[in-house]
Amino acid sequence: MSDVLIGGGAMTAFNRRKDGSSWRDWCLEAFHSALDDAGLVSCDIDALVVASESDFFSLQLNPAALIADELGLQGIRLLRAEGGGATGHLAVQAGAALVASGQARRVAVLGFEASAAHLDGASVGALYSLSYDAWSEGALGIGSASIYALSALAFMQETGATAQDFARVAARNRQNARQNHLAHLPLDVSEAEVLASPLVSAPYRRLDCSPLSDGAACVILGSGADLPQRSGRARLAGMAVANDRVRLGDRAAPGRFVAKTVAMRAALAQAGCASDAIGLIELYDSFSGAQLQALDALGLTDNVLTAERDGCFAADGALPVNLSGGLLGQGAPVGATGVAQILAAAQQIEGRYHGCRPAQPPRFALVDTHGGIATLCALSILEGSV
Amino acid sequence: MKRILHLDYAQPTGRLASHFGALARGNAMAWLCAGCGHVAFPPSLTCGSCGARDGAWIALSGRATLIQRSDMQGAAYALVRFDGADNAALVRLKNPEITTQRGALLPPENESGLWLELEEPRNDD
Repeated sequence: MSDVLIGGGAMTAFNRRKDGSSWRDWCLEAFHSALDDAGLVSCDIDALVVASESDFFSLQLNPAALIADELGLQGIRLLRAEGGGATGHLAVQAGAALVASGQARRVAVLGFEASAAHLDGASVGALYSLSYDAWSEGALGIGSASIYALSALAFMQETGATAQDFARVAARNRQNARQNHLAHLPLDVSEAEVLASPLVSAPYRRLDCSPLSDGAACVILGSGADLPQRSGRARLAGMAVANDRVRLGDRAAPGRFVAKTVAMRAALAQAGCASDAIGLIELYDSFSGAQLQALDALGLTDNVLTAERDGCFAADGALPVNLSGGLLGQGAPVGATGVAQILAAAQQIEGRYHGCRPAQPPRFALVDTHGGIATLCALSILEGSV
Repeated sequence: MKRILHLDYAQPTGRLASHFGALARGNAMAWLCAGCGHVAFPPSLTCGSCGARDGAWIALSGRATLIQRSDMQGAAYALVRFDGADNAALVRLKNPEITTQRGALLPPENESGLWLELEEPRNDD
């Protein structure tokens, strides 16, 4: 990957908004805070990439044009990216491609979603069921929890993972989120409390599930020559996307996130680094078990369950995962999620993250996001300044 | 600001019309790939095994075996394999109070989607 830096970024709080503010307000807040962080002003931006999963949430078609207008951006290149849960991450990669190809010099990537504040939970669930095959799975009224549950059951059967392993992940990510003042669910919960929370879809219980959140996040991308000289900003060293069959039943191994394995190989090759150089991960933990399924597919440890049980993925472990709290703790306003993941990982390796940080910033961080049930998998490897 | 949308979609099913037509009657119509013989139920426009697009519709018995099952309050879903199919399918269980491993396809309750009625447990006494 050529010289694409994350010049700066910012996010709003992720939560269920009840303060009367709108998604337009959140976008404005995230955009201007990101510009400040990057040391730029609006007229420096020559491209805007908007990430928003569904117009059914915002009730705004062509949101990039509307947002550009509200931000006072005119006469610039606009693009809207969408890829289910991976929407925000794909938008960052699209923005990086604009910079790398020379089509833009300084790109604002702005993700948002207003899923929690605008609609009741049942309506959001009905819309999310269209994330799978809408003519078969979606037509059954099935929610994400049940599809993820069926995949998790297959993973448990093949690997010996237990509900206690899942509960440990759910509790740990919420504990990490307690140091993140922008997080939706910074909960002081234990494994036992996760295991005692109400059943949603076996084996998943309420605390195994990430929340519906509102919020926005923005990062500014550019080449080093086009950004203010600010020391230590992270570089997008490798980016990859791979897909899997949409329907679980069409997959040879419904419990495994195979597309992540494919994307990981490509991202490592592009970044020119070995897998053992990755020092931390912001990972798409839409459900607790999905964190272990993803880590299994990414292949960064010999045995994911042994590593999990030995504390490898804890904040003070050898390979910290979701120091931000992840989706389980920080929250998941879909269009903003991947943007916020990239931002958190960048600031962690830059040594300036506002929440839980590694004792020693590693050189490389991995960001993992997916749409569907690991159907559309996006990975990026970030490199700190050396 | 309050907004209410009522959207009434009518979606043609195109090349999959045979599948959905049979499904509405509670029958399982699968796609037999002319390239590799892969039997897909539910079907896809392109063979997931070899990438071929040619093939023919074949009727399956509509009976299936459970692979995984997840229960929630008021509903249960399962990953099943229909007899004669090479892929698996996600179904909603019509009678989740039953815990047997075999079932039969039913006409869908909301015009699409796969619904399975589990067999009653056998009484061997």
